[in-house]
Formats: sequence, C-alpha cells, structure tokens
Amino acid sequence: MLPSCEVALMHVEFLGVSRDRAGIAEIDVEADTLGRLLETLAARMPGLAELIVVDRLHPSLAANLNGDRFISDPETPIGDDDRVLILSADAGG
Amino acid sequence: MPFGYHGCYLRIDVSRGSVERVALADTVLRQFIGGSGLGVRLLLDEGCAHLDALDPRAPLIFAFSPLVGSSLTTSAKFAVVSKSPLTDRINDSLASSGFAVAGKSCGCDAIVIFGRAPEPSVLIVDDGQVRVESAADCAGMTCQATDTQLRSRLGNNFRIATIGPAGENGVRYATISHDGRHAGRGGSGAVMGAKNIKAIAVRGTQRTEWAHPREMTAISKDLSQRSFGPATAKYRELGTATNMLTFNRFGALPTRNFQSGAFDEAENLSAEQLGATRAKTRESCVTCTIGCEHLYATDNGAVRVEYESLFALGSLCGVGDADVVLRASQRCDELGLDTISTGGTIAFAMECVERGWLDAPWLTFGSGEALLRAIDEIGSREGLGRLLADGSRAAATAIGHNSIAIAPQVKGLEMPGYEPRALQTMALGLAVGARGADHNRSGAYEVDFSDKVDRRHATLDSVRHAIDTEDRAALMDSLIICKFLRGVFDDFHGEMAAMLRSVTGWDVTPDELRDTAARIVAAKREFNLRAGWTPDEDTLPERFFDSPLPNDALAHLSRERLDALVAEYRRQRGW
Repeated sequence: MLPSCEVALMHVEFLGVSRDRAGIAEIDVEADTLGRLLETLAARMPGLAELIVVDRLHPSLAANLNGDRFISDPETPIGDDDRVLILSADAGG
Repeated sequence: MPFGYHGCYLRIDVSRGSVERVALADTVLRQFIGGSGLGVRLLLDEGCAHLDALDPRAPLIFAFSPLVGSSLTTSAKFAVVSKSPLTDRINDSLASSGFAVAGKSCGCDAIVIFGRAPEPSVLIVDDGQVRVESAADCAGMTCQATDTQLRSRLGNNFRIATIGPAGENGVRYATISHDGRHAGRGGSGAVMGAKNIKAIAVRGTQRTEWAHPREMTAISKDLSQRSFGPATAKYRELGTATNMLTFNRFGALPTRNFQSGAFDEAENLSAEQLGATRAKTRESCVTCTIGCEHLYATDNGAVRVEYESLFALGSLCGVGDADVVLRASQRCDELGLDTISTGGTIAFAMECVERGWLDAPWLTFGSGEALLRAIDEIGSREGLGRLLADGSRAAATAIGHNSIAIAPQVKGLEMPGYEPRALQTMALGLAVGARGADHNRSGAYEVDFSDKVDRRHATLDSVRHAIDTEDRAALMDSLIICKFLRGVFDDFHGEMAAMLRSVTGWDVTPDELRDTAARIVAAKREFNLRAGWTPDEDTLPERFFDSPLPNDALAHLSRERLDALVAEYRRQRGW
C-alpha cells in the first residue's frame, strides 16, 4: 500500500491510433485514477489531446486495465504497477 | 414505385442469353430495403434452397440498394447473394466499387442469373439490354488480366466483375472481383464459374430520383464531414492492419491454426511496421470519404492488405515474413480466392501434417514457400489443392482422425481473426451466424472490447449485445452503407431512418428499421432451414472447448457455456 502522499506509477501502452498520435508505444505516468491519467496524457502529448475530452477518452478510443477489463469511469482507481492499454474502440474490421 | 428504386430486377438465363424484367412490389422493397436483405428475399422467392449451389438452376444474385448512386458516403456497394458451395447455406458477400453504380444504372435493383453458358463467357448488361459473348480468350486469366482484356474489347465505360482461375476451377471459396475489391466470402466466384460466366460487364444511363434531394445532400455533407473525424481515424490513418498488434496484446490473435492467441512475429505484420519499412499509398472506394485502403509497395507492385488477410495468411499459418504474406495476399487476389478461407484451410492442413495425419511434409507452419505453393495448388486444383479447394470441413472429412475437431470453421466457413476463447461474445456471434463463422455479419467483438461484458467469461447478458450487432450489420448491409462508418453515428437507427426517408420518401421510423433488421436476419435463417439446417450447426469446433488458450489461462470456453448462450440467443430471437 502506498503512503497517502504518493501517487501510483503506472505503465501506459498505446495501440493503433493512440500510438500514432502519442508518438511512442509506452510510457510511465503518475496518476491514481483513469481520469487523472488521461489529463496528464493530454497535457504531455498534444497529438493525443484531441482524443481526450477533459478526463475521458473520445468514444473512438477505449482503455483497458492489465489486459483484463475495460474501464471508462474517470474515477476508476488505478494502482501501482498497473498497466493501462489505450486502443481503438472499434477493434475489428 | 418508391424513389431510389427502379422497381424491378433482371432475371437472366445465361444458357440462352434471355432476360426477363420482373417487377418488385413496394412492400418487398420496404421490408427488405436492398443489398443483402433484398438478395435474400429474392433467393427465397426463387425456391432454390434445395438445389446444389453449383447447379446451373441455382441463382446468383447481384443486389443493389436505394442509396446506390446517391452522394451518401460509402454507399456504392452491392451484395452478391446465393447458396454457398462451401457451406450449403445462405451466402451474402458485399463489395464496394463503381460496379454497384453502373449496375443500378442499367435500370434495375438487382440482377438474378441462372443457367450455364455453353462456353466461358462474359455477361453484358448494357443499359438493361443483355447479351452473352464468348470470353474463351480470358479463360485461365487472373481477375485483373480479365478486366484489362475485356475493357480493351468493350470499352472503358463498362464496369466489369470477374472471377479468377479459382472460380473457373470450382474452388469453393472463390471470389468475385471488381477493381481489386472482392465479394469475398462463401464462394460466390465458384457459383459464377459453374455458370461458365467469367465476367459480368455493366453500364447504363438510368438514374433514380431522390424523394428529398436537398435533405439528402445535407445528410451527405454532414456524414462526410463526420467521416473525416476521430471515429474513422483508425481506418484512415492505419487501416485494419493495425488490429494485428492490438489482438496480439490481448491474446486474441489466432495463431498456428488457433493453437495459440499470440504470435511472436506479429510486429513484422503490423500496420506500424509495414508503414515504416515500405512506401504506402491510400485509396478510397467510389463515393467513400474514409479512404481505408492502405497499399504497401512490394517488388510485385503495390499490395492492398487488410487485417483479415494478414492474420489468415500470416499468424494463422505461422508465417511472419511480411514480404511473403503480402505476396500471398496478392496471389489470392489474382486467383480470386478468399484470403480467410485460403489461410484457414492451409493452416488446418499444416496442423494435420504436424500431427502426422496428412502426408505433405513440405507443408509446415512458418514456411512461406509452402504457403505460396499451397495457394497456387488450390487455385489450380492441382496436387494438394484437390483436397484443399473444398475448404477445411471437406478436407477434414477426407483426412479422418477426427480432424474436424481442429478444422477452423463453422458451417463450413473458415473463421475470421477473432480467437473465440478470448472474445466470448464473438464466440456466440461466430456460432450462430447464418453464413457461418463471420465477422461482417456479427460485430460482437466490439462488445468484447468494451466495458459491457467480461470478454473471457460471457454471460447470458452478452446475448442481447450480440443480437444488436447482428441486427445493425443486417441493416447496414441492406441499405447499403459501410460498417467503418458505424462509429460516427450518435443515433444509429434514427440516422439510418433519416437517410432512407430522404432517398425513398417513406415515413420510415427507427423502430421500423429495428423490425426490418430482425426480418432480414430471420429470412437468412429461413433459407438455411429450407436448405436443411439443423440446430447442432450453431457451435464451434471441438478444439475451443478442450482447454484454455496456452497464453491465457482465463480464456476458457466450455461447451456448456456456449450452448447456454446459443439457447438464450434463440429464445431472444423467438426461434
């Protein structure tokens, strides 16, 4: 358990369009919720910013936690060492 | 006659070169719209479900739609509908090209073909006038060469749909090609070949009127504008090939005949890597504003490639050499072969060789040389191609050893690139699909890639989502409008109704379209029932129930779970 003054360091993986816009495949970011994570990404990565509306992803993108479950609520807590995947929502084709 | 339609179809007997113009009732058009829906309805009316798919009396239907010829983006599409020689069930395959616009300009809403020409021929529909000419000089030619040859003979203002050698040789997953695009799945090319029709050439001058042209133009502009936005960015910027890394990351990339959901050479075949290592150009279908086609430069020219081809000819066969996979995809296009069924059938044979059930030691996973050789043998029905040209289900019957358990097919149609253990709503969609395992008639994978369900543990709640995607697909395939637009709609049924109102003048409502979609899905089932469908066909190969995915212990699908999903699906359908 982290001390209350610390924020989790999570790993973000970009897939597809989000990778193209971010210009990188992965990055480590400090954030404790999905919303905070997205705010941080929007501030750091202008190319990705247009696909982030305040603290939510544009509907064309989706976020997944550790390859297990998809998450969309900005208040979703994210823990230390979690991996957040950001990918196109319409995954097929 | 409603706006947007000609109110009739052409019924052509290529044995005699005769044509009958048959009126279409307004009620039929409103109930089935066009494309897949209209084609299935006409197929039912023909009363042919009991016939062998390659019987000359079995119809081959090209169905257009009320939107064809309009300014609505992605609307230049046509459906090819027939009984499938691969599945013995309904087959509807779609393609986008100027063939749709030219075909409808012949003054008809559909072309129904039956009979058998006395020699390899081209069926010419010239502004509604029909003749059948010899195409013996095109026999054995690739799809592209046939198009070139016939254009030089007939003139460039004809739009020509062709079959390649695979269709001529009766390969049961042969395609019909126009402009490099294919009505790909289910073997409609073999049906055309059985009629000795090497090509269909169409041109015309007859246009339909629009009920509310100003409203339609406004909708068109708005839709086009939205099609430039984020909802289609994936297709525009990277193409469907970008699925490769995503699916691999989720352990959902079928590999080595579905023995695994992860491929260690996936990066080689990704859109990102292909784009970084070779020149790339983009193209669009006629009237399309998305531009999803990404063509990659190779020594043999630019190759158009999609995720489904990369998966089927790449990871599924264990081939990670991008040059080989691009060449394999291009070769399938030349021969007129469905890349999914080609890759699926070859991957199945590779595993049979690996298990010692098939004596073809050269056919090993990962061998690009073997892959290319197998494709050529299938296209020509020579060597091992004699066994593989009928698809994995038929090959399994011949091979024995209960190899049907590992044949990657449902109802005989080879499975697309979605690992069903890792994507279990899609597992249901694949199992119940009327034309077999298919990603174009069920978009249930979208549900798996969302927070609506647990993708590795489908529950009965998943079923309504699967039904919704199947109904939406039926509607889009009948209007017809491209599924790559699906993300731009805020009110799917409302916007579809507005489009149809502006074109036809009908006072159609969103609820009416919901009923229409369900009717079209039910009509496909009705054809299958008449063709001998039994409930046990709605399942997956045994392999998927044996064990979890090797790369993901949570990805386990039991037969009991799938059976429960299928039962709930039928209950909700009212079947």
